[in-house]
Amino acid sequence: MKLKEIVEKMSLEVIGTATDLDREVTGGYASDLLSDVLANAREGDLWITLQIHSNVVAVASMKGLSGIVLINNREPEEDTVKKAESENVPILVSKMPAFELVGKLYALGIKGSQDNA
Amino acid sequence: MKLKQLKEVLNAKVLYGDKFLDKDVKMACGSDLMSDVLAFIKADAVLLTGLTNPQVVRTAEMAEVIAICFVRGKKPQEKTLKLAQEKEIPVLVSEFSMYACCGRLYKEGLLSCDGLK
Amino acid sequence: MNNEKKITKVQELVYELKVRDAMRKDIIRSSPDILMSELGETLRSNRISGTPIVEHDKLVGIISIEDFIKWLAEGGKDCPIESRMTRSIKTLYDDEPLVHAIGKLDKLGFGRFPVIDRATGKLLGVITKGDIIESLLRELEIDYHEEEIHRYRASHIFEDIIADKTILRFEYFVKGKDFNRAGEVSSGIRKTLTRLGIHPQIVRRAAIASYEAEINVVSYTSGGEISVRVQSDKIQIHVTDSGPGIPDVAQALKPGYSTAPEWIRNLGFGAGMGLCNIKKCADKLDIESTVGKGTRLKICINMKAG
Repeated sequence: MKLKEIVEKMSLEVIGTATDLDREVTGGYASDLLSDVLANAREGDLWITLQIHSNVVAVASMKGLSGIVLINNREPEEDTVKKAESENVPILVSKMPAFELVGKLYALGIKGSQDNA
Repeated sequence: MKLKQLKEVLNAKVLYGDKFLDKDVKMACGSDLMSDVLAFIKADAVLLTGLTNPQVVRTAEMAEVIAICFVRGKKPQEKTLKLAQEKEIPVLVSEFSMYACCGRLYKEGLLSCDGLK
Repeated sequence: MNNEKKITKVQELVYELKVRDAMRKDIIRSSPDILMSELGETLRSNRISGTPIVEHDKLVGIISIEDFIKWLAEGGKDCPIESRMTRSIKTLYDDEPLVHAIGKLDKLGFGRFPVIDRATGKLLGVITKGDIIESLLRELEIDYHEEEIHRYRASHIFEDIIADKTILRFEYFVKGKDFNRAGEVSSGIRKTLTRLGIHPQIVRRAAIASYEAEINVVSYTSGGEISVRVQSDKIQIHVTDSGPGIPDVAQALKPGYSTAPEWIRNLGFGAGMGLCNIKKCADKLDIESTVGKGTRLKICINMKAG
């Protein structure tokens, strides 16, 4: 599913303007531990987290993730927004907590790693 | 949902607390940041987390969590398990990722901790 | 602000209570082959506005007084109720929380829902808005009694001690950098406040606030003290350390602001939510901090919920 579609269906707020949302989301990963995401997320995953410092952009870009969704209406730091635009990593914000957002994404057919195996 | 249903949905092992499997789980919260858990979790919720240090149990105690479930097959540190026994908080471990755990439980109708707002 | 902090008893109850706790079990049911004229009699003599229709214990439809009136208006030619009943029925399971029932009543605008067993589909009862209100009132009454006992116990100590003003004070010492024991103090505070008979909602807020403060002392300083003063109308928690101090308190109160090193983040803290959480739990929070000298947090929680 295209990221654009997810943004619409989950009513996510798009942070910044410079990133393109026309990319394919192939799975999902939820974690607030950067080392865990580095180790276990897969390319194309949409990352659900409440971490807002700019390191998240570095991790997402390194792993080729399709985007970052901040939960509980968290606001990214200024640095994070700038870095995201320069690295072309979409940052989206949801009002929902992780559990609910993941539940709804899952119902849309965005699966976690074990589910594709 | 009963804790034992949750155990089945997540294909989880019970590390401590077989005697509590008939308890009712009303909600779930998935997070790796304990302050987030303290801010949002409601009593009688299950805590899904990838962190395994004793602070998870302390946080669970303060937030009156009904059970802790570690994701990604992470075995807790021995002192974590000991503290959980002392505080009588059931501990489960699932091989699924945080994402898959949230997705599956939400599908089974478990509510998010946002539900009371 | 206050609304966010307080979860009302009713909100708690609608999650706690199940449909089966509120539903009516002694219901009139009809079989699909009785005639519309007989139905009229059933509704009138039982003073009910509708009935579920059951065949071999299974719910097959529902018929209401509106259906009956419509039938009369259309000439009232007698026929089995089967041909006038509603077949696509919205039902509830007996093990669903009441909040689901309220949501469905609201959303669909129906007056009643048949309640069925999740496994067998057997009709167990019927639930209406009135039933829900009645069950909530019943529970609140029980709860009110418990509350009275609580309050009696809490005020007990303060009444037994003869003084113009009574303050209970407990002190605790927090060891810095010892993450294995971080939280022990707050665990003790939680138990003590519970034993004093203080309302669980207040205990919870005090415990979470002191826990976050304790974590801060362990994370950033070489140790400190927590003192708790309980009076009949409020709890004051003072957390004092001789750590590095907070350079910009306003900044530190912003959600997400953090100076935590990686090792603290790896323990699940340090995401810049600690002080916000304390503020959320407290009725009043004062922070006095001098860089290089230390920090003192004054947390005040009023005893009366809300």
